[in-house]
Amino acid sequence: MSEPAANTVELSKQTSTPAAPEPEPPAGVLRRRSRSAVARSAARDRGIAVLIGLLLLVTGTLVALLSFGVFGSMRAGRPVLDPVVVEALGTQSTVSRIVAIAVGILLTLLGLTWAARSLRPERRPDLVLAAGGATEIVVSSAAAADAVATEAGRIPGVGRVRARLVGPERAPALRLTLWITDDADVQDVLRRVDGQVLASARASLGLGALPAAVRIELDTAASASRVA
Amino acid sequence: MRYLLRVLAPLLGLALAAAGILLVIEVVAAWLRPTAEAGLTVPWPDWQATMDELTWADFPVAAVAIGVAVVGLLLALVGLLARRSDIVLDSPTPAMAVTTSPRVLARIVGRRVRETDEVASASVTASPRRIVVTARSWAGAGPELRSTVREQVDDLLTELPLHRRPRVSVSVQERKGPR
Repeated sequence: MSEPAANTVELSKQTSTPAAPEPEPPAGVLRRRSRSAVARSAARDRGIAVLIGLLLLVTGTLVALLSFGVFGSMRAGRPVLDPVVVEALGTQSTVSRIVAIAVGILLTLLGLTWAARSLRPERRPDLVLAAGGATEIVVSSAAAADAVATEAGRIPGVGRVRARLVGPERAPALRLTLWITDDADVQDVLRRVDGQVLASARASLGLGALPAAVRIELDTAASASRVA
Repeated sequence: MRYLLRVLAPLLGLALAAAGILLVIEVVAAWLRPTAEAGLTVPWPDWQATMDELTWADFPVAAVAIGVAVVGLLLALVGLLARRSDIVLDSPTPAMAVTTSPRVLARIVGRRVRETDEVASASVTASPRRIVVTARSWAGAGPELRSTVREQVDDLLTELPLHRRPRVSVSVQERKGPR
């Protein structure tokens, strides 16, 4: 009976070259990354909505003015489907058909892309710890976030914590929501989040930088609804 | 507004895509079947007949145009107003961005104001630019209560590392009746 040589697994540690953490990016980059982790960006949706809204507003206003005879009563009396336009389209039928099909395809693609992008769930990047060799160690996004949340929950004055990783895999960031108690010192809590939680997360995950967006909420345990 | 935009955005995208697909289908169908009397999915020959008879000055044209303009205005407003009203706090390091909501700031301020003995109740509204405190004092409280409350709120805003200090306005109303 021969040895199953193919099943041999070699476990060795490269002690000579420990995985050095990545260098820390400049402060401006960190600031931008931490700000963009505050919430999912709605800039694209807002921009497109405003653009379409303004187009509709301008078109509607111009047609209404035309209809009320602001541009002359002769023009207002022409049929909506102007015979001159219909005739021009008829003489150039192939061109106008191709243009119409191209417009249709463009509208379809733009609409589907917009819908897909706004429906796509936010990315939760997994962390790759030791890449490059034959083995790759991946810490799942949820596991890393849970570890950070547990650590942050130990800070005095913090009642509840929710943590999640956001952003692209090459530049992950942390979104941390802290429900602080009534008597908590916000400045102290923030210092501890930076000094204890984020520092240990960076060290244990081997990250040069882990920008974080911290959201402060009040713990509702002793809430009074007397504030309008 | 943000939630409305989150719902509207995919719906508008799908509506655009549907309009594009219908346009392509109808143009290709009309091209391939030049003798056809009716459209494949959209009764566009009927529409064409109606629009031949309509002039720009007719009532339906103006009504539809005004409707379109109003919808466009609402859509643009939704897009413009769907911004976050976060209150930004100073963080100890650039790698951290700290925010909170106006509601939380209002609750913190309200709690501090109610700690004063002379204050019976208080309501607070907060935005990134402005904090409005309306305190109701017990009967017999002196006129200096207003400045006391203001000092308290100012102290609190100094303690909280707010990035931008909101303006504070305090008004005190005397509560009728015994304490």
